[in-house]
Parts: sequence; structure tokens; C-alpha cells
Amino acid sequence: MKAVFLFNFAQFVDWPAGAFPDSTAPLVIGVLGDDPFGPYLDETVRGETVRGRPLAVRRYQQIDEVRTCHILFISASEESRLGNILDSLKHRAILTVGDSPAFAQRGGMIRFVSERNKIRMRINVAAVEAAQLTISSKLLRAAEIVSRGEP
Amino acid sequence: MSFRDRPIRQKLMAILLLTSGGVLVLTCAAFLAYEVVTFRQTTLKNLSTLGQVIAANTTASLAFRNEGDAREILSALRAEPHIVAAGLYDKDGRLFARYPSDLPVAALPASPDRDGYRFEHADLVGFAPVAQAGSARLGTLYIRSDLTAVYGTLRLAGAIAALVMGASLLVAYLLSATLQGTISRPILALAQIAKGVSERQDYSVRASKVASDELGVLTDALNQMLSRIEGQDRALRRVIAELERSNKELEQFAYVASHDLQEPLRMVSSYTQLLERRYGDKLDDKGRKFINFAVDGAVRMQRLINDLLEFSRVGTRGKPLQPVDVTRVLGAVRANLTMAMADADALVTHEDLPTVVGDETQLVQLFQNLIGNAIKFRGTERPHVHVSAQATAAEWVFAVRDNGIGIAPEYFERIFVIFQRLHARDQYPGTGIGLAVCRRIVDRHGGRIWVESVPGGGSTFYFALPKQNGEQAL
Repeated sequence: MKAVFLFNFAQFVDWPAGAFPDSTAPLVIGVLGDDPFGPYLDETVRGETVRGRPLAVRRYQQIDEVRTCHILFISASEESRLGNILDSLKHRAILTVGDSPAFAQRGGMIRFVSERNKIRMRINVAAVEAAQLTISSKLLRAAEIVSRGEP
Repeated sequence: MSFRDRPIRQKLMAILLLTSGGVLVLTCAAFLAYEVVTFRQTTLKNLSTLGQVIAANTTASLAFRNEGDAREILSALRAEPHIVAAGLYDKDGRLFARYPSDLPVAALPASPDRDGYRFEHADLVGFAPVAQAGSARLGTLYIRSDLTAVYGTLRLAGAIAALVMGASLLVAYLLSATLQGTISRPILALAQIAKGVSERQDYSVRASKVASDELGVLTDALNQMLSRIEGQDRALRRVIAELERSNKELEQFAYVASHDLQEPLRMVSSYTQLLERRYGDKLDDKGRKFINFAVDGAVRMQRLINDLLEFSRVGTRGKPLQPVDVTRVLGAVRANLTMAMADADALVTHEDLPTVVGDETQLVQLFQNLIGNAIKFRGTERPHVHVSAQATAAEWVFAVRDNGIGIAPEYFERIFVIFQRLHARDQYPGTGIGLAVCRRIVDRHGGRIWVESVPGGGSTFYFALPKQNGEQAL
């Protein structure tokens, strides 16, 4: 389910023009740390396009490996290094997504929250704006909005 | 009564009402058809717009599976009361959210149908794709609109149309009832005048002219015609009165003259006869011959005067017409002609004869003249006269057939004119008045007389008397 959400973010978020090398370059979904999705993420994006762009999945172990990336899922395995990771991604047009507690409060953009077998989202709008990303109001409607410092 | 026999007033009304009614029906039908078409189109367009808006708004709800959000968006449909059901299906065709939220799942299609909008029974239903611009499809929106509102509006339009039509027809009726008078009234007035003229022969009335249109022209023409007829009628009456007067004078003159001529003639005749009786032996043969000539002339003149008197009496001494048995008439004729019939050894036969309306004395004279002529103008054979009668629709046609010398066709008309004789006096005696008297009698009875004949092959004199008789003015 979270894999599908990751893919769906691509549809509801606009990246600045400089985020892509050219008009046909793929939209990259990255996974940092241990991959919790198994084969689902690859299956979800296979053959899909978003606004004419194909999708690609990359997996990273170190934050230094992240070059061209548009959506980055930061695995729970990286929780201890989260502060550093988010700092190093600051001002890069990368949508950061995670499911560790207080992910949004610590500077992450979207956090998945499990509630009664359903997945909800918390969005740190300030962080999104700082990265010059535009989130569709429709996505904001479907999510909960938090700001840094809130619990 | 068929339409063509109805009064002009009703015809005009019918024409006006039918015309306006026809136009109204067509107009209202066009209006209703336009309403139906546009209303369906408008409803379809509205629903598809609404569907697009809702579908666009529910993309994120579907993408991130937020049911509450989807329900909230769908609940905005409350603003459109005729939207009775809506459903949101995910990519796999499973129902994700519905409107109204308490709607039974069975009321919605189990899975989405092909995209598009269509009329289903009394409803308009549509399936709209849910997709974020430029991306893969996320699901399907189902929306159903109850068309009762549409049909309600159409019913209202129909009711308005019917009302407008009824009111228009009423107005048309009132208007035409008033306006047709401008045409029908002068016509009716003209018809009234014409009827009065023909019923009362009063040519002094004049129609009053209402306007200078065709009816005015007709009125003028009628009035001119009436004044001309009035003038002619007056002239005609004057001429008739004049003719009647002079005719009467003439008859009186003829009668008086013939009557008064008899007196001196009788004197001439008696003294000539006295002269012969007393002085016959003193005269020589020549003298006695002269006296015979004088007596013969006096006798012929006597007969001429008698015939003339008879001719003039047809007009002046006629009796009123009444039913007459022609068989009896023929009996009288036979008695009068006994001598002539015996002299010529003549045979007079007849068939069944009817009773006609006429003057018995004159009918006796008519038959007597015809049968007498038939015996007089006999050929070499024994004379045989046969009388018969035949009924037509309005007349009795009598025929008096003989086997005499016959008449050449060129004389068929002339023989009925007074003093017209076809033969020398010494060949057949007579004054040339007999057939003229016959014609005069038949004329007085309103009938006709004519002859058919072949010279040497006998003649048949026909005369027709009307069954219903009114005396004709001579």
C-alpha cells in the first residue's frame, strides 16, 4: 500500500524545472536504507508514466549515493541518522517520505501513520515549500498538516 | 348540414379559428420539442460538468485511499437535489465511497460500466474516469440524476403551452367573432336585400354601402342592377298594360264589328232572297245568276263573320278552367259532326282519354275543328280519324291522326296562322280560321300545338295540355 502511495505522490507534487536533466528524463523514486517494500514498489511503477515521464526505482545505502532523485523514502533503519540525512537534503528538490515517529516534526516532508489498519499522511508544509516543491491542494486535503515543533 | 352549406359567419369563424389553431399547435409543438431537446442536452451537460468536477476533486482521495475525504467531497452533491446517487470506484472496480452515505450498496452498480453518460429508464446515469492530469487512471465516478425534475419542467412547459394555446384560441375566437362581422355583415345585408327583391319583386330597395372594398363594389353593382331592373320593370309593366289595353280594344272592336256587320249583311241576304222569290220570273237567266252570286257571297260573308266571332270569343268569352272529361268532349264533337261524318262515311275512333283541366266548350271546339279538318281534307280512302292521349311528367299529349291528304313540311307552321289557306276555295271550302282558333284555345290552356305529316300519308295533329293548369294571359 505504501508503495502505491509513493507512486501516487508523483502525480500530486510538482517539481521545479531544474529537477530534471531533460523533458524525457525519468522520475526517480529512491529508497534509502533497508527496503521494506520488497518487489511491490517495482511492480507498482512498472510501465507507468507520470506527465509523460517514465518512472525509475533506485536503492541507496548511503545518503552520499543520492544524486538525481525526486521522491526519497527514508527507511526506519536510518532513524538514528535521520537528522543528518534531512540536513544534507535541505534545499534539494526531493520529496522526503518516511514512517518513523516524529518524521515530519524533524524536517521530513511526509510521514506515513498507521491508524486502525489505514494509512494516513502527515505533511510538513514548511519543509515542502523550502524545497521549492508544490503539493496539490487535493493531496493536502487528504492528509494532516503539521509544522516543525509540533508533536 | 355540410360545411359548404353553413352560413358565411360560421365559415369565416371556422377558417379563422382553424388557421390560428393550426399555427398555435405547430408553434407549441416546436416550443415543446425545443424544450425537450435542449432540456435533455442541458441536463446531460450539467451532469457531465458536475461529474468532471467531482472526479477531479476525488483523485487524491482515491490515490491515498481517504474514504472520509471522498465522502465529504461526494456530499457536496447535496446542492443538486436531482442527483439521487453517486459512487466512487477504485482502480480495481471496487466500490470505495458512495453518496448518500446511507445508500444501500445494492442501489449502485456492482462494478463500473464503460465511461459516458446515458439515459436509463427515468434516470440519467454517467461514468466518469477519475485521473490526475497526465497520469494513470485512479478509478471511476458513477453518478445518477433523477429526471423527474426534467419531466416536471417539461410538464410545466406543456401546461404553459396548453394554457397559452387555450387563451390564444379564446382570444382568436373573440377577435374573429368581432372581426368576421366586417366581412359577413355586409354580405348578409346584401343577401337579405337580394332575398327581399326576389320574394316581393320590390325593385325599389337599395343596399347601403359600408366600405369601398370588393363588397362595396358588389353593393354598388347590385344597386345599379336594381335601378336598371326597376326601370325596365316599370317600362315592361307600362308596355304590358298598353298591350293589354290595345288587345282588349282590338278584341272588342273585332267582336263588335263582326256582330254589327251581321245586321246589314242579313238585310242584304234577305232582300236578295226576296228579290229572287218575287221577281225571279221577271229576270232572265243572267239576272238570276247574278242574284245567286250575291246570295253566295252573303252566305260566305256570314260564315266568315261567324268564324271571326268565334276566334275573338276564345279570348273574351272564355269560361274558367276546371276538370273536363275528354271522353265526354269527344261525344259532344261526334254529335256536332253527325252530318259531316255521315256525308263522308267517316270513322272516328279513340283510346282511353283522361280528364284534364280546361274550358269544356273550347275543348269541344278544338277537337271539332281538328276532326272536322281531318274529314274535310280526306283522300280517296274512307276517312278514319283516331284520337289518343299520352301522359308525360307534366303534360297530357293528345294526338288526332287521320289518313287524309297530308301537309308538306314547309306549311307546318303557316297552317296555324289566321286566314292562311293552302287550297283554292272551290277545292276545299273554309275561311282559314279553324286552326288559328285551335292554336288560340291551346295557348289559353298553357299548351302547345303542332303537326306531323307526310303529303299523301295522312296527318297527326298533336297538342299538349299541362296537367296542373293555370290560365295563361292571352
